[in-house]
Amino acid sequence: MALIIPCPQCGPRPYTEFWCSGELPDGGHSANPGDLEADYARVWLRRNVTGEQRERWYHHAGCRRWCSLTRNTVTNAIHDVD
Amino acid sequence: MTSIDFEGRSIPVEPGDTIAAALYRSGVRLFSRSFKYHRPRGLYCGTGDCPNCSMTVDGEPAVRTCVTPAAAGQRVHRSTGWPSAEWDVLGALWWLRPLLPVGFYYKSMHHPAGLWSIAEGPIRKLAGLGEVPRDQPPGNPERRYHHPGVCVVGAGLAGLGAALAAAEPGEEVVLCDEGGVGAKLPPGPLASRVAALAEAVRGNPRILLLEHATAIGVYEGPLVPIVAADALHLVLPKRVIVATGAAERHGVFKGNDLPGVWLARGAVLAGARFGLALGRTAVVAVETEAGLESLDAIQRAGVAVSAVLAPAQLASRVGAGVSVMPDSRVVEAEGRASVRAVVVDGPGGRTRIPCDTLVLALGLVPRDNLVRQARAASVEVTVAGDVASTGENSAAALPSAPTCGVVCLCEDVTAADLDLAWAEGYRGTELLKRYSTATMGLCQGAMCHSHLRGFVAARSPEPLLNEATTARPPARPVRLEDVAAGARYPLEWHTALHDRHLEMGGIMEWAGIWKRVERYGDVLEEYRAVRERVSIMDVSTLGKYRIVGKDATAFLERLYPCHVDDLKPGRSRYALLLNEAGYVFDDGLVSVLGDEGYYCTFTSGGADVMESWLRDWAEAWKHSVRIVNQTHALGAINVAGPRARDLLAKLTSDPVDPKAIPYGGIRRLSVAGVPCVALRVGFVGELSFELHHPRLESVRLWDALLTAGADLGIRPHGLEALRLLRLEKGHIIVGQDTDFDSSPAKLGLEWAVKMSKPDFVGRSGLNRLATIEPNRVLRAFTFPGPVAPLEGAQLLADGERVGYLTSSRFSPVLGHGIALGWVYRTDAGFPSTVRAVDGSGADLVGTVTTGPFFDPEGARLRA
Repeated sequence: MALIIPCPQCGPRPYTEFWCSGELPDGGHSANPGDLEADYARVWLRRNVTGEQRERWYHHAGCRRWCSLTRNTVTNAIHDVD
Repeated sequence: MTSIDFEGRSIPVEPGDTIAAALYRSGVRLFSRSFKYHRPRGLYCGTGDCPNCSMTVDGEPAVRTCVTPAAAGQRVHRSTGWPSAEWDVLGALWWLRPLLPVGFYYKSMHHPAGLWSIAEGPIRKLAGLGEVPRDQPPGNPERRYHHPGVCVVGAGLAGLGAALAAAEPGEEVVLCDEGGVGAKLPPGPLASRVAALAEAVRGNPRILLLEHATAIGVYEGPLVPIVAADALHLVLPKRVIVATGAAERHGVFKGNDLPGVWLARGAVLAGARFGLALGRTAVVAVETEAGLESLDAIQRAGVAVSAVLAPAQLASRVGAGVSVMPDSRVVEAEGRASVRAVVVDGPGGRTRIPCDTLVLALGLVPRDNLVRQARAASVEVTVAGDVASTGENSAAALPSAPTCGVVCLCEDVTAADLDLAWAEGYRGTELLKRYSTATMGLCQGAMCHSHLRGFVAARSPEPLLNEATTARPPARPVRLEDVAAGARYPLEWHTALHDRHLEMGGIMEWAGIWKRVERYGDVLEEYRAVRERVSIMDVSTLGKYRIVGKDATAFLERLYPCHVDDLKPGRSRYALLLNEAGYVFDDGLVSVLGDEGYYCTFTSGGADVMESWLRDWAEAWKHSVRIVNQTHALGAINVAGPRARDLLAKLTSDPVDPKAIPYGGIRRLSVAGVPCVALRVGFVGELSFELHHPRLESVRLWDALLTAGADLGIRPHGLEALRLLRLEKGHIIVGQDTDFDSSPAKLGLEWAVKMSKPDFVGRSGLNRLATIEPNRVLRAFTFPGPVAPLEGAQLLADGERVGYLTSSRFSPVLGHGIALGWVYRTDAGFPSTVRAVDGSGADLVGTVTTGPFFDPEGARLRA
């Protein structure tokens, strides 16, 4: 798979320079702390969508910063990077 | 004159020769034995499309000699045949083929059980296409990445043109060809045009031309891996253009694979490019316009053509002086080792024409492997040139169904095999492919794929059944070495003391990405130095972070499951790192270094990951903190043993008494003039000072400690001594004693978690885990007697498996075996005694205990 991640700091770089922490739960990580059900869902449940999802990527071989982006899991098209 | 070695014979080579051309000129006609029936095979396609000329070259099997340039000193031999390829007794298998039907293994090897294990050895000896070189030193191909606008595969007329057109508006282009540009063209106007375009391409700075570089696939992305002699090029273009051209169509009839049967383009190249004499008399079968051109070229190359078979509309255009047989077709090539005669079927009935060469110009078949791969990977590619224009995809263009002869040259699948497979219910190209293995050989269907489709189309009107089969990478034979390109450049991190360790005889081992000292010599001596005198160890690999900023306290308080906000300056605390599920994934120390902020250490393995972890949470909580990863900036040396303080006192004027730096303390010290941060730690269970210092000072500090410690009996220790020392203290190693789902409760580390804190990472996970009884726990074990079980030993209680050991050693100070390991809950609760059974045959009874084995009160480390 080839995939170019538009890093906000470093520009477009190959995905091999990044780590992906997978789909971002609703409201980001640490939403509703203490709500057992919500916490359980955030930690364990994934939607595994065919289509667009929010993800977190870490540029470990570059600026070592995280970014959030929307990626289409079918086409790898990426937008809304921040 | 240069020469190559062919099975012990010296074969002269002329400039521009391929290996096959040189061999043919020297009289070699039998180039290989076929895969299953050991049929004799000669040069056939001449363009690298069929498997017939595959030989072992310099130890590498499956080299297509017809497209591989001959180079002085090459060692070439035929890969199969016993006792030799020329005289191969296994050729008799052809006559035994009724006993070896399609699907032979499926039909014969399932009963009785164990038959395959007996048959496998002899079958593997008979089958195969040569041997993987075992004693050959591996090469060292690199991996290179390219991100051009366009990647063009194939540097023929279409590919060169496409590359120039793409480069014109400013795109960067990578253009590759598996051979040299123009290498498959006979001299002529086409070759001149290609040469002119090639010159323009070479002069264009935006085009990178890779020759002798084979594109082996098209992957999602798109990604095109290109194998060259010195590197694997990973090309990630915006657009892919496939211009791989077309191959001559394979002919299928009785005796179609005999040496002496040629595909037209190969015959033309042999004559016009390499000056080879094909034979005395030839029959040429022509079915297309292009075939007429080939016929012309063959005659110009000096081959005496005794008959031409052609459809009526072409027959009239065959030049004078040749006997033309309109509307006739070949039904058989006769001969044992090579063609003696051709049997022709025509309007006038059957005719037998004696000849020694049969040339087939039956039309072109696109080399569409990459196109079909792209379709399967949902990658859009542009096709250019012959690969696009040969009309292969219309059912009308499919060849008529083969009735006799070898359909798949690579796998020796005959027309009769396909008939049988069809009768057995394997109806459709994909099923026939899987059952008969047709199209699955070296040439990946370049020869037989269209015939497989024609076979199905003739039997079923259902278009789905005769669809092109899915193609998968690699399109060409590829060496494992090339797939692994770049893997021989592993990252290897060294501490600043690496060379010192080697000088001192240190035996190194991998510890993640680091190289660390396993031992310098006698592990027991190193162990004794720590327990009885003083020792040093290089622990520079530890994760080392400075965390400062306005929110640093709030940040760490929320990150760690223990309290941080009550830590006084000059104090440190052991801390677990939990993930959100509440499982332990790392541990280390968190300490307050006066008003300089926090200093945190993590395990060597977790050092790198921890940075992403810290930054992720700092961002999520919008905390104002600065996270400085000092793992590589700082070295660390642990000074441990009852005499550790005496040693430090010799090298520093700073106070090192228990008041100034108690157990669990942190303080700046100047040791031998090196500015250090000293941490009183307890991993090995002795008085210990971990000296963190600027990496560039590591060697000076190390040497000073060894010199000053000489009269104290100092001796450095490595990882093996460390593992024993910490095990005596019952300290876990995260990753060795823990699993992916090790909660603090399972590890007996609940004391390191303060559930009274309002929030920390993993707290909700622990709340959830609190509702579930742990199904297993990490426990300590003692084994009386002089040996300990091996690590990984299985634990049994009442004959049931109840767990396994994760750490195990013989303790010299206690005189018996000690271990850590997991035990599962049984109906009777957790067992109190176990039997440990390991791979060495040991069967030892052990007692489940708790707490440190050695110095449980910690008096020694608090000294």
